[in-house]
Amino acid sequence: MNLSDMLGSDVLDGAGERLGEVSDVRFALDAGAGQLLSPARLVGIVVSPRTASSFLGYERQEISQPWPVAQLLRWRHRGSFLVLWEDIAVMGSEGVRLRSGFTAYDARLTR
Amino acid sequence: MKRLLGVALGILTAIGGFVDIGDLVTNAVVGSRFGMSLAWVVLVGVVGICLFANMSGRVAAVSGRATFEVIRERLGPRAGLANLGASFLINVMTVTAEIGGIALALQLASGVAYILWVPFALLAVWLVVWRVKFSIMENVTGLVGLSLVVFAVALFLLKPDWGALAGQAFSPSVPAQEGAGVYWYYAIALFGAAMTPYEVFFFSSGAVEERWKIKDLAQSRLNVLLGFPLGGLLSIAIAGCAAVVLLPAGISVTSLSQVALPVAQAGGQLALAVLILGVVAATFGAALETTLSSGYTLAQFFGWSWGKFRRPAQAARFHVSMIVVLLAGVAVLATGVDPILVTEYSVVFSAIALPLTYLPILIVANDPQYMGKHVNNRAVNIAGVIYLFVILVASLAAIPLMIATGAGA
Repeated sequence: MNLSDMLGSDVLDGAGERLGEVSDVRFALDAGAGQLLSPARLVGIVVSPRTASSFLGYERQEISQPWPVAQLLRWRHRGSFLVLWEDIAVMGSEGVRLRSGFTAYDARLTR
Repeated sequence: MKRLLGVALGILTAIGGFVDIGDLVTNAVVGSRFGMSLAWVVLVGVVGICLFANMSGRVAAVSGRATFEVIRERLGPRAGLANLGASFLINVMTVTAEIGGIALALQLASGVAYILWVPFALLAVWLVVWRVKFSIMENVTGLVGLSLVVFAVALFLLKPDWGALAGQAFSPSVPAQEGAGVYWYYAIALFGAAMTPYEVFFFSSGAVEERWKIKDLAQSRLNVLLGFPLGGLLSIAIAGCAAVVLLPAGISVTSLSQVALPVAQAGGQLALAVLILGVVAATFGAALETTLSSGYTLAQFFGWSWGKFRRPAQAARFHVSMIVVLLAGVAVLATGVDPILVTEYSVVFSAIALPLTYLPILIVANDPQYMGKHVNNRAVNIAGVIYLFVILVASLAAIPLMIATGAGA
């Protein structure tokens, strides 16, 4: 499975209710780049209730220019949340199903 | 002194580089049909291209990377691909139009049918792209292209009624014999001719080719802010010549010889010779720029090594893709399609595709992770968003107007 194939696939909760679509995948770098690049660890997926289109970088809170592009993109992605890898029950060609009782984290990035 | 010379050279190159076959044809067509009543669009377009080139030049100089690399990294491959598709299509169309323009100008000089000049033009463009140093290529075509100033001289020699011309320009109205739809269709075409995206890709990639740093920003700003407006004045002079000679005679421009007619009438054979030299240089320069732009955009998106500062063997895919683009352009011309028609469509499609190339640059120029303290300031952002709106409206209106007016017929 290619991770980019997951972008845009449906996300269901434990009960089978549709929550939205995968709009992004989030990684963490656990260490600074060394002799080899630091391995990236998959943290989770960003679920957007309305659109699978990209945030175009406006998930970073400190960027609010140019008005109204930033505001429009944020508005389009309102209600987006981050689900950790541990909370994903199934990920496959039928889409993503979350475990019941998953935690929805804020998808925004702050410094 | 050397610095001053550099600035002067940059400005002169920008003037010569501003006018290409799209500007030549569209301005003459508009002048011959609408007089000076669309001159305001050239102004709007020039301010737009200054803004656009300023942002992308700054992105290139600050990040040390060309616009397309940054766009793909910052907006992701999907948004980047939409941008690439639109820009590449326009580039190929423009390459076709420019090569046709070189051939038409050589036909004007020699009387030999333009189609026979096309292979020659192709070979010449390719040889220069392959062999000639970036700065030489840029400066020679820009400086020789300056001979298009003959349009401005011709306008003076024609001794027009300046008051009437100014009246048309400053209180524009749709001429009685033309419909409002056609007027707005040509407004969009003229806007697209002034704001062709290839100029911007070329400009920002050129900044990397010439290894610009932050300290060169002031000079780049000067080149753009003086060179492009003066190029815009040249555009208006082209329209003016057509408005003075062709409009009263009821000739609407459909060929390059008609573009040249007012100049020949005003200045005779000598002026015509200078004009042909200018047209060859301007279209040749633009053919180089568009060909290189196609290579730049593809290579930057796919991460190939690129640039004329590398030897061709070290940027093989970059050079092969440019050969393919040139051959594609020549293949289109070989069908016998009128290059003037290709030009007219290419400027309108430029306007249609513009939002896809403009918005990413506007976004990146606002990203402090790339730009540090050189992000857009407030004034640039206000202008930038106003232009985003103008560009969107022009883009959305273009196709309906094209259909409704039969492409301005």
